[in-house]
Amino acid sequence: MTPDRTLSGATRRRVGQGERKPWRSGGPRDTLRLALYLSAVLVATLVHEPGVLAGGMGIALVCCGRMRGVLLRKAFFAVLPVNLMISAGLVLAGGLAGSIDGNALLLLNLRVLLLSLLVAWTVHAVDFDRVLARWPAARRWLAIVRIHIGLLQRQASDYRIAFASRSAEPPTLATRYRAVAAHGLGLLDKAVQNAEATTLAMRSRGALDD
Amino acid sequence: MHIPDGLLSPQTWLPAFAIAVPLWALGARRLAHTMGDAVVPRLAVFTALAFLMSTLMVPLPGGTSGHAVGVSLLTLVFGPWPAFMAYSLVLLLQALVIGAGGVTALPVNALAMGFVGAWTTVGCVALLGRLHHEAAIAVAAVASILLSALIVALVLGLQPWIASAADGSPRFFPFGPAVTVPAILIPHLFLAAGEAALTVLILRHARKRHWVGVTTP
Repeated sequence: MTPDRTLSGATRRRVGQGERKPWRSGGPRDTLRLALYLSAVLVATLVHEPGVLAGGMGIALVCCGRMRGVLLRKAFFAVLPVNLMISAGLVLAGGLAGSIDGNALLLLNLRVLLLSLLVAWTVHAVDFDRVLARWPAARRWLAIVRIHIGLLQRQASDYRIAFASRSAEPPTLATRYRAVAAHGLGLLDKAVQNAEATTLAMRSRGALDD
Repeated sequence: MHIPDGLLSPQTWLPAFAIAVPLWALGARRLAHTMGDAVVPRLAVFTALAFLMSTLMVPLPGGTSGHAVGVSLLTLVFGPWPAFMAYSLVLLLQALVIGAGGVTALPVNALAMGFVGAWTTVGCVALLGRLHHEAAIAVAAVASILLSALIVALVLGLQPWIASAADGSPRFFPFGPAVTVPAILIPHLFLAAGEAALTVLILRHARKRHWVGVTTP
């Protein structure tokens, strides 16, 4: 079974350990980590020295612990298209003007990567269920949305595999659009019915009485 | 059209938070009145759908990306405030789960796509709905995408003026509006047509299923 990528690392660990403790108050460690992240974001956007940003990146990597390789790779690939696009534009504009601004190029790439790494660390280290414990309605909505993103992604993947296996030869674009529209609306029906049934079940068990 | 973290100066994202936070608080209060047992599951499913629609992104030269949004659909099914709140959640999840957009850029993205997109839809349908309802919905979807894209392009394009070093080198996003506006708006003309078709198709289905609740603010 693959882990649910829509859950934070901290939530996955808690669920994986089979912990059943009801979270009635926000965990102070999670709140502290969230505050640390927000402070680091503010500092990263106020600093304009590439050397200082590189130092910040080093500190962030130390804070990531053993997961630093995974988190750095995740952060790097998340911002790679944007960084490449803007860097190529800067190099092109600089090349046409006769001088490429290496400092601006380094500053932009370092800042975007550092902020992306900070997000990856926060998602890994902070249990958002605990942080949202004081707002049960927000927590419930987030949980339902998270579940449905996972479900819809899995159903869409199942559909792609099923459609490919049923097609003897490559379908035309029009056929694909028609099939996607019909299947998509069917999925939507199913998702709404599932969500309504789940809500009714939760209501009948008193889970929505807070 | 997400703006990622690191391209906006604090002079931009801090005031944007100051505008967005009261709107989120107001939206949460409005949402609490409309969130019954019937609305919560549908809103959750449509929020997940908007998340998936905007997950397929194409990076654009203007420093952002092109993708379907789904705000018009959310607005026409649930109303502008739930749509704004739902899309803000979509943006937050995208920033945290797939690293698209960002936390510092969240208020700008939410205001441009969620707030402006939702109210543009309401305005267009109110203005044109009496002439031809489905055409008004399509126009509303196109207008909401293009207006949101224009705001994103202008916010990015103003960064060299807002935050530059003493020698004139950019500290955040380096290109002005002459680059960002065409680079972002032209691809969104095509994306907006796709968004309009999707909105009309899904809304027609939602009406058949009697899912459409609040359609006016």
